[in-house]
Amino acid sequence: MQHPLCEPREHHLSRRQLLGCAGTAFTAGLGMGALGGLVQPLVARELQQKQRQVLFIWIDGGMSQLESWDPKPSTQFGGPFRSIQTSLPGTHVSELMPKTSQLMHLLAVDRGVHTQDNSHSAGVPRIQRGDPKDRGVTYPYFGSAVSRLIGPGQSGLPAYVWVKPGSGGFQYKDSGFLGPKYGALAIGEGQAPENLLLPDSISASADDTRNALRRAANARYVKQRRPQVNEAHEYVFDTARSLMRQRHLFKDPDPRDVARYGETPLGRDMLLGRQMLEAGVTFVKVNSYGWDTHGDNFNGHASLMPRFDQAFSAVVEDLQERGMLDHVLVIAMSEFGRTPRINGHVGRDHWPEAWSIAMTGRGIRKGTVIGKTNDLGTFVDSEEHDIGDFFHTWFHALGIDSKKVGYDNDGQPLPIAHDDCEPIRELLVS
Amino acid sequence: MVDLTPEQLKEKYDPQPLQVVESERQMVGAKFSPCGKSMVSGGYDGLLHRWDLTQEKIVTQEPITGHHGWLQGCDFHPSQPRVFSGDSWGRLACHDYLQPAPEPVWAVETAHDGWLRDLAVSPDGSLVASCGRDQQVRLWTTADGQKIHQWSNHQHDVYRVGFHPDGQYLVSADAHGMIRKWDVKTGEAAGEFNAGELFSVVRLQDVGGVHAMTFSPDGTLLLAGGTRPKNGGNVQGTPLVLVFDWKTMKQIQALEMGPTSDVYVQDLQFHPGGFLMVATSGNPGAGKLHFQRLEDEKPFYTSSGFSNCHAISVHADGERLAITMTSKGSNGNGRPLDKDGNYLGNSSPIHLLGRPQEEEENS
Repeated sequence: MQHPLCEPREHHLSRRQLLGCAGTAFTAGLGMGALGGLVQPLVARELQQKQRQVLFIWIDGGMSQLESWDPKPSTQFGGPFRSIQTSLPGTHVSELMPKTSQLMHLLAVDRGVHTQDNSHSAGVPRIQRGDPKDRGVTYPYFGSAVSRLIGPGQSGLPAYVWVKPGSGGFQYKDSGFLGPKYGALAIGEGQAPENLLLPDSISASADDTRNALRRAANARYVKQRRPQVNEAHEYVFDTARSLMRQRHLFKDPDPRDVARYGETPLGRDMLLGRQMLEAGVTFVKVNSYGWDTHGDNFNGHASLMPRFDQAFSAVVEDLQERGMLDHVLVIAMSEFGRTPRINGHVGRDHWPEAWSIAMTGRGIRKGTVIGKTNDLGTFVDSEEHDIGDFFHTWFHALGIDSKKVGYDNDGQPLPIAHDDCEPIRELLVS
Repeated sequence: MVDLTPEQLKEKYDPQPLQVVESERQMVGAKFSPCGKSMVSGGYDGLLHRWDLTQEKIVTQEPITGHHGWLQGCDFHPSQPRVFSGDSWGRLACHDYLQPAPEPVWAVETAHDGWLRDLAVSPDGSLVASCGRDQQVRLWTTADGQKIHQWSNHQHDVYRVGFHPDGQYLVSADAHGMIRKWDVKTGEAAGEFNAGELFSVVRLQDVGGVHAMTFSPDGTLLLAGGTRPKNGGNVQGTPLVLVFDWKTMKQIQALEMGPTSDVYVQDLQFHPGGFLMVATSGNPGAGKLHFQRLEDEKPFYTSSGFSNCHAISVHADGERLAITMTSKGSNGNGRPLDKDGNYLGNSSPIHLLGRPQEEEENS
């Protein structure tokens, strides 16, 4: 397979060459900066021309695998719920996901996930960074990595949009060593960023004049500072301007869509996420909070899961009907699963030992269930897969050979996924 | 009782440990049979566990099988040796609990679509009501399990069901704090009690609902227990008992039963002595047993050292209590293994408690 970007041997390129490449790529719209650069701009441009997008559904706090993808009904830790047959013969999921159960032929589920952290504070960033080997740098979250590796495309929209409950704004911390411009533009509560529209009192020509003044001031400012600081400022400003041209995204959605996705925060955000993908955003993270069910887990999942089921099945159906699953990689996951053991608060605690991740879309072998937990659901009873394996898998699904492509962190070659992990071939079309 | 001070009440009723019935699995809640000869408990293992109380020592009997998932609904016929049980897969069954290896007297395999959450037998023993996650309330004959009525008015999971002591009315309480009153003979809706204070939507999650319900012995009050939710996920909230006037259907009192870490009122029972017993269960290790007169501002007795009290049962002798708990130290994000490397589950010790000795009472 021809690798799309650089090979490790190419990391001996000089800093001067890198900067030259960066300049070329930036001109081409890839937005490559001095730090976190990639080499081989020609290949990068080729990559950019292929439409590749990601919908990353982050279930923050930890969805219970036993109440979702890997039910163990009527066993010691199985909980009260039944399992139901799915559209994939022989495969059952929890009764709490009836809509998704009828789309299992479109999905791939790995029930053999085994990761390292059982705390949110460590697990959330570690999982979303792919848990690479420690090389003394802060790796980017998956969204920032994809933003860097694929770029923003032709839409003029930011490459990485995070649709979430709560506040919005520019979230630079996701980007790690790539630099702040690869951070996420967060859309909070489904609302457009404040002051998105140009006030009526400012004409277009006056706006142009203002911007010329701003650029001049920036040029003076940046002379005394690291270039990536201004780069980030410029990026945020350009992002806002691009959104001004796409403000239709924030109009009230079609009530029929609202009904299908569910009148919930997750339904709202999933629908907006779909619209962002349709508009051309490369990486959309849709976030749901409140899944840390240490208490009252079963009543909790009895309301949480149907709302996830409705929103998730609606977006998968929509992407399928629009032919978008050919180029959109869809992933649904948490930072870990939940303990088989049921605590005194009738809850389940954190469990990275054996849990499940679901995916579909670009490059993914649909109608696949791999990995297996033992009869009680306590441990993986097949080959274990860590998050590093999934990062390799997802990069491959996006056409990026993660064994050959690397970052260049200001001269420091860095792999884009854990060196010792491998793509999970059973999940990939090829 | 009203003449006694809280200190005197505590001295009279301070529960004394008699025995702890250990179990290997987690239980929903132990109940004494009306005849006093048996104790049963539904389990998270789909079994109806049984204990013979007629021997010098408590004898564990063969459990009643045939259920799946969690066996949460359980109630007795008031005068016949019949126990009714309902599971989270929707099965409702009737057994003779005094038999060594009971076969079903009758069973309805799909009494509900999924989680059958609660059962209640009418005071005259002729009817058993059930409710469940399918938002349905159903009425069955205890003799042969024939469905004679169904109410579909709830819009959410129905958590609790109970007969008024006069037997003419049934109440059902749901996950959003709506309590509906039904005329048993006509099937007509007879009113509503608003226990919405026990519910909140937090982010994507419905939190709370009516977790416990009982009537005052004279039938003038309806009490609903749960939590005033503070958050979801880990679920914190003030354990709360709402007291309603049965006639006016208005809330007349609210009893806060502990800190937000104690979270849920999981069971409510009136003691034969006339006071209310409240079981709370929240964060692992948190939760208590409280005794309180409704006219008092605070309990005259609150347990210490108990862990996650889930259910209360009063023996027919009026002296003994069974309190179902969860094993201490039940929480944790790690991977607890025994010496053989087996993954450890939790269990539900059932604490049998008695009254202080008579000589102590007279002293």
